[in-house]
Amino acid sequence: MATAKELSASSNVDNTVVGPSILISGRLTGDEDLTVRGRVEGELTLSRTLIVEPSGVVKANVAVKNAIVSGVVVGNINATESVELTREGRMVGDIRAPRVIIVDGASFRGRVDMGDVEPGRLPAERPAVVRPTAVTRPTATPARPALPSARPMPPPPPSRPTPPPPPSRPTPPPPPARPSAPPAVSRPSAPITRPGLGGLGSKPLPPPPPTRVERAEPQAEQAGSAEPPTPVLVGAGAKKKVVVKKKTR
Amino acid sequence: MANTVIGSSIVIDGEISGDEDLVIQGTVKGKISLKESLYVEGSGVVEADIETQNVEIAGRVTGNIVASDKVELKTDCRVVGDIKAPRILIADGASFKGNVDMDMKER
Repeated sequence: MATAKELSASSNVDNTVVGPSILISGRLTGDEDLTVRGRVEGELTLSRTLIVEPSGVVKANVAVKNAIVSGVVVGNINATESVELTREGRMVGDIRAPRVIIVDGASFRGRVDMGDVEPGRLPAERPAVVRPTAVTRPTATPARPALPSARPMPPPPPSRPTPPPPPSRPTPPPPPARPSAPPAVSRPSAPITRPGLGGLGSKPLPPPPPTRVERAEPQAEQAGSAEPPTPVLVGAGAKKKVVVKKKTR
Repeated sequence: MANTVIGSSIVIDGEISGDEDLVIQGTVKGKISLKESLYVEGSGVVEADIETQNVEIAGRVTGNIVASDKVELKTDCRVVGDIKAPRILIADGASFKGNVDMDMKER
């Protein structure tokens, strides 16, 4: 009889639930899932999953396999698999788990330690995240930079203070060559804005300094055959050089 | 009121208190105080002092029990400790060792 009862009882045990008005203080250990809707204080050790529901409060050091926190946890969580803070989750304490998920809306204060994540994974993930941002910014320059990199023309890059535009454009040399350009600062600033406005470069009307920059780009790309504007002497030469190299390629 | 269940593989060493029913299929050591009913199922093991309104015991309990309403010892239960309650039922097959006090009328 007893065994039958025990079996039936144990088979019913899918889950342990701590109801909303229940307070457990002390040490709690187990090998099954635990759902907390009330309060648990002290120490909590499970070989399976801890679920803290929105009404649940856990003030304890927790050691589990998985933890899903939708309520409040004050204390450290040590999980062998994962810890997830949901939108409603609030936690103060340290998390130590190979997988930690913190969703938008969750509040958390403490440290996260994901340990030694598989070495293969991290590198792949990190670059993926980092690259998009890095790539997006220089996107305008990359197409052109390819030319300058191939070119043996070292002068342009050093002359310019702005990193992205300088390499791609041969225009930089003109400013130094010109004695008439007092505001050296104004020019570098212009090129920076240019990349975004690249489409506007076709306009011949803009003020002298900007126009040159703009023209330089199209000419370089178009093989520089375009009529060289009278004002730009040095710039024209630079362009021609560029063109020649293109042809050689 | 949601039911609170302490599963069969759970061990609690400490104190449990609350205002709702509690079902124990696992092990609890320490102290239990509830304002509702406590059910110790066949697989349940309690080594604790118990203070509740009702208690139904089918498992093992070691400790003193104080209930404001009723204590029921079911078949196959094993209880060691003192029981104090206005109503106490001991079923055939239950094993019990301790004192019984049903004199709660004065309070």
